[in-house]
Amino acid sequence: MVRGFVTANGMEKKRTSDEFEPGPIPPSQPVDRFGFIKQEQNSPDGITKSRPANEHEREERRIRKWRKMIGVGGSDWKHYVRRKPHVVKRRIRKGIPDCLRGLVWQLISGSRDLLLMNPGVYEQLVIYETSASELDIIRDISRTFPSHVFFQQRHGPGQRSLYNVLKAYSVYDRDVGYVQGMGFLAGLLLLYMSEEDAFWLLVALLKGAVHAPMEGLYLGVKVVFKVGLALLRFCHDGLIKLPFEKLIHALRNFPEDAMNPDTLLPLAFSIKVSKRLEELKQEYEKRNVASLQQTGSANRQQLAIKDKEFSIRPETSNCVPKDDSSR
Amino acid sequence: MDSSSSSQPEFDYLFKLLLIGDSGVGKSSLLLRFTSDSFDDLSPTIGVDFKVKMVTIGGKKLKLAIWDTAGQERFRTLTSSYYRGAQGIIMVYDVTRRETFSNLADVWAKEIDLYSTNQDCIKMLVGNKVDKESERVVTKKEGIDFAREYGCLFLECSAKTRVNVEQCFEELVLKILDTPSLLAEGSAGVERNIFKQKPPQADASTSSCC
Repeated sequence: MVRGFVTANGMEKKRTSDEFEPGPIPPSQPVDRFGFIKQEQNSPDGITKSRPANEHEREERRIRKWRKMIGVGGSDWKHYVRRKPHVVKRRIRKGIPDCLRGLVWQLISGSRDLLLMNPGVYEQLVIYETSASELDIIRDISRTFPSHVFFQQRHGPGQRSLYNVLKAYSVYDRDVGYVQGMGFLAGLLLLYMSEEDAFWLLVALLKGAVHAPMEGLYLGVKVVFKVGLALLRFCHDGLIKLPFEKLIHALRNFPEDAMNPDTLLPLAFSIKVSKRLEELKQEYEKRNVASLQQTGSANRQQLAIKDKEFSIRPETSNCVPKDDSSR
Repeated sequence: MDSSSSSQPEFDYLFKLLLIGDSGVGKSSLLLRFTSDSFDDLSPTIGVDFKVKMVTIGGKKLKLAIWDTAGQERFRTLTSSYYRGAQGIIMVYDVTRRETFSNLADVWAKEIDLYSTNQDCIKMLVGNKVDKESERVVTKKEGIDFAREYGCLFLECSAKTRVNVEQCFEELVLKILDTPSLLAEGSAGVERNIFKQKPPQADASTSSCC
């Protein structure tokens, strides 16, 4: 079960990070449907997993519904969300069609509005401002999604866009600057939208637009928890037999069938989480709030998150719905 | 996959080692080279990571739990808690980047003083990326001088070409094996509840309750 880093055909994709001339366009390699280069040959060829025909039709129907819901260029979205929040919630849980994610994410997060309210700002940030984090960002660019076709080419369009977005963000939000890990967030967004759109969505996620910063994460933490539980439950029989060291590896490399959203998410939503967790959390916070306040600026972020948890506005619950598993 | 937990290999000691140093100096690459003998583009470490390796050094069977930490300053509140109980700490710098070396004194040595709980904890200074000899800006002598001043072991290595990588860990472990106070801890380890462990010596049984 050892996952090799060497790609198919024995071709090594080692790219050391010294040279600064634009790299060659990497040879085309088999990729998965998200554009990541397939790393494994150990999955037998039979597992090509061509999705059944009816699934394709279902996807088409789904896209049509979504298009109707969004309207041309998102014109109907706000109206629809206000009128039928439960429908929106249900459809989001079934999965936003891949081709519409870029647009829908911008609508849900409110980043569209940020973009419209701030014409020219992104360009200004990218071209004229300098950031103290520039070197840190550059150092991480080639380490972000190195196995994705878009980011693979040294100094190619993918890496350049990623750099621009991260640099712009580090200038826009100087208190936070650049934090390792942001690249994976920005990189993912860039697979779905333009640089400028990705930048404003990053701002909406991290600093807040319609929603409080990372509100989705904190409201949706129960969902994240449930997905985790569902993964564990799905793999229970295999995991329980593993010794500790192998367990670490296994927890990082769940089998592909466990990750299938069509089975994983229904399983996740079927799991009930007791309120006990919430009680424990409150108890923990009560005990720790004093010590947290003492530790000062280092924990500023955590404190900020705490504040936000108590200021969630009810009208926003349309889009990031409260969980209703307590039926 | 042979996975029955009863077949867990025995070992004489469990050591906790820690890798620290600036972002991008090659901590994760060193670890990957040591544990899997491979080299690849690695993502920046977010928070902490860890790997386990069984080795036989100095005639002893050892289980090394090696913790790999994020180098970026932002994660320091998080990584600081991982110094606790480490028998060995490896400080890594990049011989081609001066600031990663100067940060050893300005940042990393202080971090060790602040957070390490083992007084006798063995420190090791490692200058990585010696394969890029033409870009070198930190001389070997500077490394040696620093190590002498701070009481560390010292080696230069390359995770890319694997030069000296094994030696880094080996020398560190040999020194730990030479230090009785650390040995006692490694054998009656605090992580006993996680790592199923056979107490090697009779003295461990004196503390048992029945």
